[in-house]
Amino acid sequence: MKRSAVWKDRLLTSVLAVVAGLVVSGAYIALTGKDPFKAYFELFKAGFGFESLTRNGLFQTFQLSTSLILTGLAAVVAMKSGIFSIGQEGQYLMGATVAAWLGSSVHLPYVIHPAAVIACSMAAGAIYSFIPGWLKVKLGVNEIITSFLMNNMAVLLMTYIVNFPLRADKGSTAHSAIVDETAQLPVFFQGSKWGAGFILALAAVAIIHIYLKRTAPGYALRISGEALPFASYGGIRSARAVLCGMLISGALAGLAGAIEILGVYRRIMQGFSTGVGFDGLMVAILAKNSPIAVVVVAIFFAGIRLGAQIGLQASMSIPRELGGGIIATIILFVAAESLFLGFIETGRLKWRKALGVEGGRGE
Amino acid sequence: MSYAVEMRGITNYFPSSGVLANKAVDLRIGKAEIHAVIGENGAGKTTLMNSLYGLREPDSGEILVDGSPVRIPNPEAAIGLGVGMVHQHFKLVPSFTVTENICLGVESSRLGFLSPAAELESVGELMEKYGLGVDPKTPVRELSVGMRQRVEILKALKRKAKVLLLDEPTAVLTPQETASLFEVLRKLAAEGCSVVLITHKLPEVLAVAETVTVMRRGEVVGRRPVAGATIPELARMMVGREVVFSVERGAARPGETELLVRDLVVAGSGGAPAVLGVNLRVRRGEIVGIAGVNGNGQSELVEAITGLRPAELGRIELGGTDVTSEPVRSRRRAGGAHIPEDRMTTGLDMQASLEENAIVASYSGKALSRFGFLRRRPIRDFAQGIIDDYAVASASPEGGVSTLSGGNMQKIVLGRELSGAPRFILANQPTRGLDVGSIEFVHRALVAARDRGAAVLLVSVELDEIRALCDRILVMYGGRIVGELSEAEASDEKLGILMLGGKL
Repeated sequence: MKRSAVWKDRLLTSVLAVVAGLVVSGAYIALTGKDPFKAYFELFKAGFGFESLTRNGLFQTFQLSTSLILTGLAAVVAMKSGIFSIGQEGQYLMGATVAAWLGSSVHLPYVIHPAAVIACSMAAGAIYSFIPGWLKVKLGVNEIITSFLMNNMAVLLMTYIVNFPLRADKGSTAHSAIVDETAQLPVFFQGSKWGAGFILALAAVAIIHIYLKRTAPGYALRISGEALPFASYGGIRSARAVLCGMLISGALAGLAGAIEILGVYRRIMQGFSTGVGFDGLMVAILAKNSPIAVVVVAIFFAGIRLGAQIGLQASMSIPRELGGGIIATIILFVAAESLFLGFIETGRLKWRKALGVEGGRGE
Repeated sequence: MSYAVEMRGITNYFPSSGVLANKAVDLRIGKAEIHAVIGENGAGKTTLMNSLYGLREPDSGEILVDGSPVRIPNPEAAIGLGVGMVHQHFKLVPSFTVTENICLGVESSRLGFLSPAAELESVGELMEKYGLGVDPKTPVRELSVGMRQRVEILKALKRKAKVLLLDEPTAVLTPQETASLFEVLRKLAAEGCSVVLITHKLPEVLAVAETVTVMRRGEVVGRRPVAGATIPELARMMVGREVVFSVERGAARPGETELLVRDLVVAGSGGAPAVLGVNLRVRRGEIVGIAGVNGNGQSELVEAITGLRPAELGRIELGGTDVTSEPVRSRRRAGGAHIPEDRMTTGLDMQASLEENAIVASYSGKALSRFGFLRRRPIRDFAQGIIDDYAVASASPEGGVSTLSGGNMQKIVLGRELSGAPRFILANQPTRGLDVGSIEFVHRALVAARDRGAAVLLVSVELDEIRALCDRILVMYGGRIVGELSEAEASDEKLGILMLGGKL
């Protein structure tokens, strides 16, 4: 089969999974006694609508999608190198914590300050990701377990840092001081948080796409992840390639954390972790490990979240948790993709028969 | 006269890969006959047998057992109809005894308790009836491969198989074991059992079968009595063209030593030594063969020489340089090429495109990358060059490799490994599972490499291959080289004795 055909199938599977997820979620809404069509209209209007430059859901969706794009991309890079790391959440927290610390305690001029902070956050995420990768490659320790445990460690570490060394005042919720104005990322429009971080995320997508597709180290990484025995046989230094992938993956998650602090919250507070890392994993799954598709999926997920919050909860008094429910249902259908592949195949077969074309015989 | 098994118009289509594996196939197996089904790899033999054994229900067509139409949705149904199968990879419990394995699932019991005595007795009767001697109380892990195969056959017979399917049964056997297997098959036929032998080894068809069905590209292209058939005739039916059997090969003109292995000790996967002090030398312009039954340390030796497995002791030199502790990459740079035994997982990346497969050993070189960026044009040309030079059918540089036939996959491996004129080539089972046409191609390529001045080390369990290609033959047994024979000295008998650990 031509590879382009494989891609078409993948795209079709994802689209069918989304449609099936929306249909089933519509049934949830109907169960609450509300009209699902009106609910979806409100949801998409709130999530993707555009009334004016200052009054629209679309820009906020873009802002919300920024960290999803980056953690999704981090998950893609890890999985491409053959490591099923679920540690993006921890790396994201490490990046955020470092950004909140250096953003408020080090004083540097404009441009240099955020650049330096972002570099340090990326390094923190990379180191945090390197550990499970190294344990896997050198000692064969299961990366799912180590990266998961390291997520918990990151939450606890962040909680300690926010409560003690970085605590700014005696308010009821522990939080750090606001980062210097010099370190804050610029926004595109007053009153919106959508800003430079989004550009950084898109640039990261482009760089990773080129790195994986067009460079020699990217090739080594992909081949090592796809077929390790083949890579070692061909003389690829797989351990190096995979560890390199883990460093990049962690750096991307760390970047997401830094952007969230410097561009959105300006400080870190107790309970900062919102599961962005895990959402990134889901984005990567629905995007079928394609860096480009990650952007589309992340924006889609962010829009559903926002739409559920504003469109459903605020205007139809349907709990906003339904947004998470819709996403989870879609992921469930993605996991059952063989079902759709079966449909696609039978459909294709019927078309061929109807058209009188004989099924192609392979070698 | 009704047939033991009759398959009519069987069609099997795999939508996921678009392969029509069987196209309206008819197969008729007579009662008490040994029937060979031959065909190239990918001809659809295995799919057809899977349909008969209930592993895959055909998309259309019907199956008749003893003249009455049946449905075989799963192997249980097949066994119930008296159809038994001996798989290529045995399905036995190593720690159980022979009797326990044979009776597994059909145990004799009394009041809910197992009765080993009754089992032992019934197994003994079976062995006597069919002349299949195996010690019934030995744990299976202590048996040789040939004996394990007997246990598999007994398992099927215990389930009252009247039709026995054997999938490439001789692939793992020595010549002596093969001969005794054929004895057993004849005895089975004499007792009224029908035997279906799936194979691509034509001499075996002539030696044991009465009728042969030839398949090509999913279709039956012929069915005839074996009496009067010749190998070239069957090969022509199978491949659809004339096949040259003996590769033309002039005398070797050995030059300097290219590969030198000294007192090499290599640990197996379990930690126990698998290679115990091997010494060997391969010179430029000669093909040296390592014969032996599978699992006598050949894989570990190959992995140590190529750098995939560390050497515990000893020394490996390539072209005069000590590479004992060098990684794969430097050994390849030193002019080493490797045709691995498992092309599906080691030799190729099934998920990657053809060009990504072609560049694995050379992607970081100046010709294919610059400043860390892959150069698309040269890579495409390089892959296209392999496709053209090796006549890889229905392939494109950006296409995948997983849908290619075994022979075409191996051509890609060969094309990649032989590009850049390697000085040393290690070929491990380079023709395993290939059809006669592709085997001929691989053999020619190896001989051509030798004549160009490369040193070739060929590891194979196929004696025909070793004898057709090698200038010197080493026999490996129990992790050691137990004998060296010149091309002239070697005979199947001598090799067979050495391969089983005997002395000449």
